[in-house]
Amino acid sequence: MFKLDRKFLVALSISAASLLAIGCNGDASADAQGHMSSSAKQSVYANGKAVIDGGVTYPTVNGKTSQYAVNTKIPSSGFNYGRTPTANELEAWNTDVTPWKLPPKGQGSVEDGEEIYEAKCVMCHGDFGSGGGGYPSLSKGNAYDLQKTLTNQRNIPDADGPTREFGSYWPQASTLWWYIHDGMPHPKTKSLSIDQVYALTAYIISINEIKIDGEEVDDEYVLDQEKFSKIVMPNVDGFEPKIDGKGATDVVRAYYANPKNFGGQNLNKGAVRCTTNCQEANATVKRIQGVGISDFLPPMNVTRDMPVEKGAPTPGEKDYQASCAVCHADSSMGAPAFGNKEAWAKVTSQGMETVYHNAINGKNGMPPKGGTDLSDAKIKDVINYMVNSSK
Amino acid sequence: MNKSLNTQDNTSVSRREFFKRAASVSAVAASTVLLSKEALADDPAIMHHVPWGQKLGFPVTHNRYGMPSPFEHNVLRRNTKLLASGNFQASIAVAPIHELSGIIVPNGLFFSRSHGGTAIVDPNEFRLMIHGLVEKEIVLTLDQLKKYPSVTRTHFIECPANGGQEWRGPQFNSLQFAKGFMSCAEWTGVYIKDILKDLGLKPEAQWMLAEGSDNSEMGRTVPVDKVLDDAMLVWGQNGEALRPEQGYPVRLLVPGWEGNLCVKWLKRLKFSTEPYYCKEETSKYTALKPTGKAIQHFYANEVNSTVTSPSPEKPWKDVKVGDLIEIEGLAWSGMGTINAVDLSFDGGKNYVEAELKGLVLPKCWTRWSYIYKYEGKKLLLTSRAIDDAGYIQPTIDQETSVMGVESVYHRNAVETWEVTTDGKVNHVQIRS
Repeated sequence: MFKLDRKFLVALSISAASLLAIGCNGDASADAQGHMSSSAKQSVYANGKAVIDGGVTYPTVNGKTSQYAVNTKIPSSGFNYGRTPTANELEAWNTDVTPWKLPPKGQGSVEDGEEIYEAKCVMCHGDFGSGGGGYPSLSKGNAYDLQKTLTNQRNIPDADGPTREFGSYWPQASTLWWYIHDGMPHPKTKSLSIDQVYALTAYIISINEIKIDGEEVDDEYVLDQEKFSKIVMPNVDGFEPKIDGKGATDVVRAYYANPKNFGGQNLNKGAVRCTTNCQEANATVKRIQGVGISDFLPPMNVTRDMPVEKGAPTPGEKDYQASCAVCHADSSMGAPAFGNKEAWAKVTSQGMETVYHNAINGKNGMPPKGGTDLSDAKIKDVINYMVNSSK
Repeated sequence: MNKSLNTQDNTSVSRREFFKRAASVSAVAASTVLLSKEALADDPAIMHHVPWGQKLGFPVTHNRYGMPSPFEHNVLRRNTKLLASGNFQASIAVAPIHELSGIIVPNGLFFSRSHGGTAIVDPNEFRLMIHGLVEKEIVLTLDQLKKYPSVTRTHFIECPANGGQEWRGPQFNSLQFAKGFMSCAEWTGVYIKDILKDLGLKPEAQWMLAEGSDNSEMGRTVPVDKVLDDAMLVWGQNGEALRPEQGYPVRLLVPGWEGNLCVKWLKRLKFSTEPYYCKEETSKYTALKPTGKAIQHFYANEVNSTVTSPSPEKPWKDVKVGDLIEIEGLAWSGMGTINAVDLSFDGGKNYVEAELKGLVLPKCWTRWSYIYKYEGKKLLLTSRAIDDAGYIQPTIDQETSVMGVESVYHRNAVETWEVTTDGKVNHVQIRS
């Protein structure tokens, strides 16, 4: 058992400090430009290992860490707060799914997955995962082909960028299963059964054309725990530094010790920073194209004046914002968009009673009452609000 | 030897010259000055009784929780559709840093990013489970967590996508949007290392999963090295409880590192030998390089700075040649403490050193300042920060030569404001 012991830590920091005295980019003396550092700092932790992110750490010296005073009299044990979780509590929350912790046993077919997708996912993620409404697309085609686009750079106008989809980019399928189970669908997360999650995972793997154990994932394919364990994502080796296995944090540590890996500029001790003629010879002034991105909400305004008084909210406005704007805020999900005169003129041409009826009973992609449990009267208020705001 | 002293000396010499010249000019113009004093119209703000001076103000019972002056109603977090999912739930709202002073962001203006909307957590039902590779697994209520000895630290939190829309060129003519994916606050909570002393971390533990209780169960993997250095569980923000947008009642604070690691609405910490591959550390928050390989577990926000005054939102107005103007800015580094900030008036060809002011703390916003005598010329204002970990901000070309233009995250190259001769400020980039 490894308990942190204060004396042990102090002993280590003393030895670390002596290591530093013989050179390391972090010490508490003057830096390259003659500045005094304001506080003791080290580029190694108390255990003698280099700081993992390439930065420095501030040991407690003479009761202070950097400029903060520290209560050094805190005992290292004896805070017996809380209680042991029960086995059931641990099971209820220990829901992570990783390459080392498979999802629970269960199964689901691509076909079932498509059905669930059409009912619960398509409104945000689009047909066949094509995206929409600002929510992520789930596939742009064959994952193996698209993985090859990851070296694309949009350095010139109209160049194709890299395609960072689930299939072409994500290193592990466990991430997908875990996220669908705990974080999807947004309107009611943690509501899908284990089998439904397998089915949706199978469907998403299928539309990305990923093979499992050499086998194509077609409509009849049934994904289960064993087959899931055999999924190898096309971009599994596409990430650095490596974070798996014993000693991985030391691999990460070594990676960030070298600024060339991540585009950092190290000002080595003794080096004088450039103050004259520091620019690349061919550098020029690049300007924003047109007005750039300027659709700020609310619009930029730096005046100091009294705000315009707002009246009471229109009936239906609050419920619209809370429940209906998800789909009706724009036209990306096929619903008549809030404020679109043309679309709403078409809707209301059927007569308001029909509009109320359709809203309450559902129409096209919209479930009854848009999936809400609002009363009929409240739904009518929302309809009136949307119609009146779109004239 | 001391460069900054010399600079000061030069300034005071030129200031003396300026006053001497000004004095001779005013001697010549003394009569006109007198005349114009009489010709000036009286200011009604002085000559009339102001309405608030004549009527009784609000009683102290008004606004039991204080609000900003109504005149400040335009000082707001803002968002844009470009950076949003659907109806602004999995989305970001950025801080109006063009309007802020000092290094503390008021809680209502602190930038806000969530992956499944802002959760409203009932503090009575808050539970924190710490399990996995510890000798003693525990569940804590909020009251129990707050019993641990508390510490208070001032740190910035920055989304690593701050500036990430501008890898291929400037896009936002706005300080709020170009650099406002960050804020800084004073946080109160407990060091996780202090809790672990009691629980006994097993030596084979390499990683910690932090998971939120929100709609998206936002999670991230943190290396134990950082947990045992300065990671905290925080419940206090600038003297009061965390705001819901900041993870009320408890969030993880990983000082200096990507904001998304500071998991909000926290429910679970799990220690393990292997990492977790959470959604937000694979699909997002990975920085794709031109090699086709992406950096994962990209932790610290590197040394960075910006000019906050002037800004595109708040250009120079009513300035005359010879006026003294304070150019002000922010500098920050997730790897350490700001050592120095340089300022260029020609887009990064030549630099002079600016002065730091106020508190200079690790992994914290640091204010810097330079008093400039206005010459009426067009300027390209570029700031460049240096930290005590030994890093200096790269030029855009230096950074893109390694990271390409598709990385999205961790852009910390120098940025430039063009100040036109009429004081207007345009966001430009100096790059090849």
